[in-house]
Amino acid sequence: MFKSISLVSFLFCFLFSVAQYQGYTLLNHPETFKKSFTQATATTESIKSDFKQEKSLSMLSENINSTGKFWYRKNDKIRMEYIQPYSYIMILNGGKIFTKEGQKENKISANSNKVFQQVNRILIDCVGGSMLDNPDFQSHIFENSGTYLVELIPIAKNLKELYKNINILIDKKDYTATAIEMFELSGDKTIIRFQNKVLNAQIKDSVFNIP
Amino acid sequence: MRKSKIRFLIFLDLVCTILSCNQYRHMQRISSNASCIQKFKPDFSHVVYRTSVDVIGKHISGILVVKHMSDSSTRMVFTNEMGFSYFDFGFPPDSGFKVYQIVPQMNKEGLIRTLRKDFELLLFRNMENSKYYALTDSGLIYHAFPQAEGVNYYITGSNCLQLVKMQRASTKKPVMEAFIYGGSPGIAPDSISMRHFNISHFSITLKQITTPAAQ
Repeated sequence: MFKSISLVSFLFCFLFSVAQYQGYTLLNHPETFKKSFTQATATTESIKSDFKQEKSLSMLSENINSTGKFWYRKNDKIRMEYIQPYSYIMILNGGKIFTKEGQKENKISANSNKVFQQVNRILIDCVGGSMLDNPDFQSHIFENSGTYLVELIPIAKNLKELYKNINILIDKKDYTATAIEMFELSGDKTIIRFQNKVLNAQIKDSVFNIP
Repeated sequence: MRKSKIRFLIFLDLVCTILSCNQYRHMQRISSNASCIQKFKPDFSHVVYRTSVDVIGKHISGILVVKHMSDSSTRMVFTNEMGFSYFDFGFPPDSGFKVYQIVPQMNKEGLIRTLRKDFELLLFRNMENSKYYALTDSGLIYHAFPQAEGVNYYITGSNCLQLVKMQRASTKKPVMEAFIYGGSPGIAPDSISMRHFNISHFSITLKQITTPAAQ
């Protein structure tokens, strides 16, 4: 009797601890997805796209929108170039982060700062497809007719202080990320939507150069 | 005898240092009107600034949103370019201050106190008329509003038609200087710069931007 109650309680807690997303259902057997996803991302060497970013400040009922260009090359190179409403470049290359704001250049070694290292890895994992192997997060996978939603819940203490969860929306057609949604503890969220994606495009080395 | 001479010299040196460091001591007190500077109060009802912070060789940039809320408080939210929030501060209508959120790396009492005082100067807060006095020097009027710690100065031309700069000061010397550019009644300043004197290379620059509507 005690065992049955415990089992029911456990199942109840499990079901309600997993977030629900309207129009999405939880994949009970995510292994098939993981296998297809791994196969698809293995053939993606690079991605070039535009992006739109929307930051929602919940308490201020305020949105900050920006647009730019995005480049990714396997395994650890990303360049995000914000064009509107401000000019800002961020390059992740190996263990280094480079930013340029106007004439101001800044170099940070991601390896010297654990949070930078983890945030760095989130971006690369989300685009490169290795997010399911990231030990800093617990993952749940949902689906609707055209999209998979990978919900990442931070386990690492310092990431738990920053994010409630991070969701990656993956197109079922080509298994590439169409959007990354970052939910902060304050209720604020940031959504980066990737548009006009070109897979395996030729990208010059100079795009990822850190001067 | 020799010991007392040395002590006297040290005392004399200390007195000289203190007197020479007091940058407001030589200024003359004048009678002026505290209300004359109210016309310079920036309109921060809703404005977004591109923001750069330089402190001791480190550089942080991002977006600062300043918004007047329906409860008459003012909120300031600073995020990085990728949307991650550094801090969310609230300034209630009359006085007080609330930290709604701040990242652990910035959650330092000294830093929060400094930012609070800097923003209070910009927002023209804690301006009690009963404590007001004015000083003059080199054709400028220093409109002084004593704070719990130090004094906030709003420095105008002699006829109070132009706000030249603002200073946050200890009792003896400025610790931070701020300049606002552009803006008028009902319009937020185009840009703002703040420079600290007591913290090496600590400066904050704000430039107004217009964010595109979501599509």
